[in-house]
Amino acid sequence: MEPLPNNFVAVDPRYLTVRTISWALTSTLVLLVALIPALLGLLGAPIPGWLRLTLPLLVVLFALLELILLRRRVAAIGYLERDEDLLVRYGLLVRNQRAVPYGRMQYVELKSGPLERRFGLCQLVLNTAASAATATILGVPAAEGEALRERLVAAGEARMM
Amino acid sequence: MSTEDPQAPWLRVHPASPFVQGWIAILGLIFIYLQNTRELSFAERFAQERLPMTALIGGGLLLVILLVYFLSWYFTRYRITATHVYVNTGMIFRSQKQARIDKVQSIEIAQPLVARLLGLAELRFDVADGSSSVLRLSYLKKDEAAQLRRQILTLAHGQQPTAAVSVDTVDTPVPDIEDERQLVRVPPGRLIGSFLLRPGAIIGALLTITLLVLTIVGVGGFAAGLFPALLGFGGWFYKELNGGWNFTASVTDTGLRVAYGLTDTKQQSVPVRRVQAIEISRPWLWGSLGWYRMQINVLGTGSGDDGSESTTVVLPVGDVHAVAQIMGILLPNLGVAEQREVLLTALEGSGEQRGFTVSPRAARIFSPWAWRVQGFAVTPTTLITRHGRLGRRATFTPHTKVQGTSWRQGPLDRRRALATVRVHSAGGTVLGELEQIDSAVAAEFFEAQAQRASER
Repeated sequence: MEPLPNNFVAVDPRYLTVRTISWALTSTLVLLVALIPALLGLLGAPIPGWLRLTLPLLVVLFALLELILLRRRVAAIGYLERDEDLLVRYGLLVRNQRAVPYGRMQYVELKSGPLERRFGLCQLVLNTAASAATATILGVPAAEGEALRERLVAAGEARMM
Repeated sequence: MSTEDPQAPWLRVHPASPFVQGWIAILGLIFIYLQNTRELSFAERFAQERLPMTALIGGGLLLVILLVYFLSWYFTRYRITATHVYVNTGMIFRSQKQARIDKVQSIEIAQPLVARLLGLAELRFDVADGSSSVLRLSYLKKDEAAQLRRQILTLAHGQQPTAAVSVDTVDTPVPDIEDERQLVRVPPGRLIGSFLLRPGAIIGALLTITLLVLTIVGVGGFAAGLFPALLGFGGWFYKELNGGWNFTASVTDTGLRVAYGLTDTKQQSVPVRRVQAIEISRPWLWGSLGWYRMQINVLGTGSGDDGSESTTVVLPVGDVHAVAQIMGILLPNLGVAEQREVLLTALEGSGEQRGFTVSPRAARIFSPWAWRVQGFAVTPTTLITRHGRLGRRATFTPHTKVQGTSWRQGPLDRRRALATVRVHSAGGTVLGELEQIDSAVAAEFFEAQAQRASER
């Protein structure tokens, strides 16, 4: 049972593309590393046949599993602006939800990696005095991110004392 | 010295200060000299033809050291005006530091070993202006340091001292701003006893015995691996012992002051309004002795010299009475009528007494022993959580100090309709955690907590 009705703002559809590309890059890299025993074997090193195959196969298996879960994982990410606080949620298997009151915000960070920038996305990080009470909003369109930051900062200042 | 005077005079620290900071250099020089003249006997050093040489080297070095010390002392000056504390140091690389008195959070009096032998003390100012470094004024006579500390704290509270406080004359009665009353004193025997009954110490002892046995039996390989571990354990042992030795907690008008130290005497002020969360714990072997340990999250006491968030120990070991007294200072209003009973319930109770909600039966499979104990209670001012069956732990977080709330549910929790809610506060590692509670209760709490956060 979730603490709240499900009216969270979902991530931008382009964020799934960003995550898919980043999945492809990481998986390729890991696969290349996993292929090293097989390559060495081809070059004549005494590596048993099962070891040459198992490692790359395992990597491919896990990568495919991740790909299948990716869509649902991204769909599980969301945020919700409420009157007094901001809610974020994430996680498919282990579900997480976090509330950060506007009055406790210290500063709001707007971040974007090269891939996110390419797709016109950004992420917002809300920081409080407690390092564990940090909320991250992922996959927001850049313009919406700017506007959201303004709103959050204004809400925070209105409630600061 | 008149505190209203903006042109307050510049004062110098105690002349022995450079020696306290630099005595190791002298030792080093003597050591180098002895190393290089190892082949000479003592008599030979002062024999006929060597005497001028020895005297020259010795005298020259002494002169240089004295000159450096003198200059270092000469260029170290401080000034206290009605609004600021200034500390200037350095001859070639000068540093001028200042701190606004109304931003001074706490002033610690520290006494390193040599300083203590000479009756000197260092003042460490913790300033809440965003600067991470602590302003140090070293060294003054102990009495002077204590008096100056009171004087500056008076100013920091926005009051003028009633009598003209002089730094030079110790006799002048100072209005006792920090009307101190000692609450708790930890006897060394109890500290050591409590220490030996902690899981960490027991593991360390087992490690030592293993090491000894292996060395005696003659298996050298293991010893080599165990030795660094033992060193690490020794470091931890010393740190813990140093942090609790001669521990006293006293009441001041702003909160609590703790003092401790084996070789270094350190003092630390804990203003009540900066306390964010409190944790009282009892390792399982302390159970029959009725001992507890208290640590708190507190903002900006500069307890970690690197400015990191670190938890502050306000009671290394003490009985229920001591715990209740310190709680009375740090969290005077639990928001209930029978505070002591609620405190005891949080420490030793189980089940749903006095407003506590515990894990449902469904959590039994995950926490077969603790499920009737782990739980929480919400009072009008504070969130109380309770954990553990053998080793007990309770946390207290005032609603106004909560920075954020998180809710978490793993796949196994979901099947049993459980969830865990965490309440975060600043300034340390104490965390309010509602472990494995019914998911409906968790949802309700999450909502109610959001409501409380907005009310404050």
